[in-house]
Amino acid sequence: MYIVRPASIIDLPGIEKLLANNEVRVTTLPSDRDKLGELLHLSALSFGKQLDNPKESTFIFILENIETGEVAGVSGLDAYAGVGYPFFNYRMEELIHASHNLGVHVTAEILYLSHELTGSSVLRSFAIKKELKDTPYFELLSRARFLFMAQDPELFSEVTVTEVQGQLNDQGDSDFWNSIGKHFFDIDFHTADYYVGIKSKTFIAELMPQHPIYVSLLTPEAQGVMNKAHPLTDRTCQLLSRDGFDKSRFIDIFDGGPVLKNKTKNIQTIVNSKQKYVVTSDLVGGIKYLISNAEYGEFRCTIGNLVDGIGGSVRLENSLAKAIHASDGDSIRYSFL
Amino acid sequence: MFFIRPIEPRDLEELITMADESGVGVTSLPANRQKMAAKIERAVQAFLGDVDQKDALYLFVLEDSETGELAGVSAIESQIGHQDVWYNYRIGNTVHASAELGVHKQTKTLYLSNDLTGTTEVCTLFLRERYRKGANGRFLSKQRYLFLAENQQRFSERVIAEMRGYSDEQGISPFWEGLGRKFFQMDFKDADYLTGMGDKAFIAELMPKFPIYVPFLSQSAQDVISKVHTNTEPALALLKQEGFRLNNYIDIFDGGPTVECRLQDIRAVKESGVLTWFEDNNRADITNPKGDVWMVSNQKFSEYRVIIVDGANFNNGSIALTSSEIDILKLSAEDKVRAVAIKPNIK
Repeated sequence: MYIVRPASIIDLPGIEKLLANNEVRVTTLPSDRDKLGELLHLSALSFGKQLDNPKESTFIFILENIETGEVAGVSGLDAYAGVGYPFFNYRMEELIHASHNLGVHVTAEILYLSHELTGSSVLRSFAIKKELKDTPYFELLSRARFLFMAQDPELFSEVTVTEVQGQLNDQGDSDFWNSIGKHFFDIDFHTADYYVGIKSKTFIAELMPQHPIYVSLLTPEAQGVMNKAHPLTDRTCQLLSRDGFDKSRFIDIFDGGPVLKNKTKNIQTIVNSKQKYVVTSDLVGGIKYLISNAEYGEFRCTIGNLVDGIGGSVRLENSLAKAIHASDGDSIRYSFL
Repeated sequence: MFFIRPIEPRDLEELITMADESGVGVTSLPANRQKMAAKIERAVQAFLGDVDQKDALYLFVLEDSETGELAGVSAIESQIGHQDVWYNYRIGNTVHASAELGVHKQTKTLYLSNDLTGTTEVCTLFLRERYRKGANGRFLSKQRYLFLAENQQRFSERVIAEMRGYSDEQGISPFWEGLGRKFFQMDFKDADYLTGMGDKAFIAELMPKFPIYVPFLSQSAQDVISKVHTNTEPALALLKQEGFRLNNYIDIFDGGPTVECRLQDIRAVKESGVLTWFEDNNRADITNPKGDVWMVSNQKFSEYRVIIVDGANFNNGSIALTSSEIDILKLSAEDKVRAVAIKPNIK
């Protein structure tokens, strides 16, 4: 059985192993061991509500095979994008250059460096074992975060966003980066990416050109990948779309990948979730749901069967209840799968 | 004999012919009768001396006194950018640096500016093909400095000239292709024509307003920033000879450079002097074998005239003029002249 739980520092080797075999780039999980350790420490403090400023909360979740203890996936959630620093994106806008006398009417697409999404809640750092990509556990790892958010609606922002990886060319290079960032850094995309991992995204972003950028001056290749998601992120995008996320006017400043956005109160997993009391049982029918306990630091989430009745309680099979650390009388939260 | 005089209404037909000959790039010489007539009218008013100095256009023609034919035209705008809006790109610099990343990158950046508003512009230099010989081109260009020297109060301290930017044999401007065209589908030739028609500000308002990072432009566009058209190189050389220097402003359409000099620092202004004159019809017996070429103007305003004196001869600081030269300059006995050597350092 697979469950989602808060990460702890002992997951470090497991996460490293996972990332080493991952085919999608996860910039927000540093490849540097010390940095990753710091992140896990910060996550533990966040789950423990031990931060002076709760807006600095960052939560790292682990998908664990509870039979083997293996780290099978990781996902992250920031309460407040930027945590004290600006959160950078390009905002896509249009200006009309028109003259009746000259018979000219041209739409100029423009990218504005923007901090507008600073303070949004951010879904981040998603990586799952290749073998589990086409299983329901992919969905478990991604959507468990929403059930967690439902535990503390005050902490999270009105808006939730996620940055989806942009398209790379056949050489594994970003045409978007080559057309913008590279001019100002003299370093290639992967080096920049490396620095994002070991420094911070803000650190690099502050070096990006400050003036608005006319899209028509970018290379056709760069224009072609703007606001396009990497094919490997298709499943992520589908799931987020079911939860009400949509492309926004924002794209990533490095690879041009889309920023998906939703109002937190409209996230379907949260909207459709119910909180009820547990009654443990030997045998439970029903259909599969995403089920979590109602804990914070001891948050657990998994997929299991239940019958969604009209009462205030719901029956859970013994081993399922145990897996999410729920006993008779405890609250649980569940949502459609 | 060739001489300079203010333009007159009767010059319209010849000026239109000249505009037809000038081709792409001499934007201040539109091949349009109505516009040209208006332009002449403006200049005629300016030479009457009673127009607002912010809006005075001084158009000069080079005439062959024997045939009465016009050889060329040149002009001065007293102060640019008051009627419409004067646009240039200023070539600025942006530095992106991080010691930690070992990054220190300078990026040329083009800023749309109206900085040159109010400056005096020497413009519209055109010499017809068949007269492009001897000192004609130099004379047509440099005689303007005598006018500036004589009437400094009418002009700005800053004098500029816009140089025609590079375009190839087909009239294609790589700078335009790399920038302007991206914002409206128009050939450079057409944009250039509209500019000549006085619609430059009009078009400029369709151009991008935000700064342009030069590396975003095509390589061919980058290569011609501040580069003059091959035909304009001699004109640029003349301006440089007089002390003009590139000032980091370029044309927003073709990327051609602007050159600038303080009025008082222009060599011909600085070196020009007011002289007395005497009649000497035997000047052909050259007593000055070096044959210095001088420009001599009559210090008049509405009846401004300049001639070129090949082999100037002096006597006690007085310059020798023939009777026909005196006639052309419309000099009375008590008049003085303003004169300067046409080339630097041959006083």
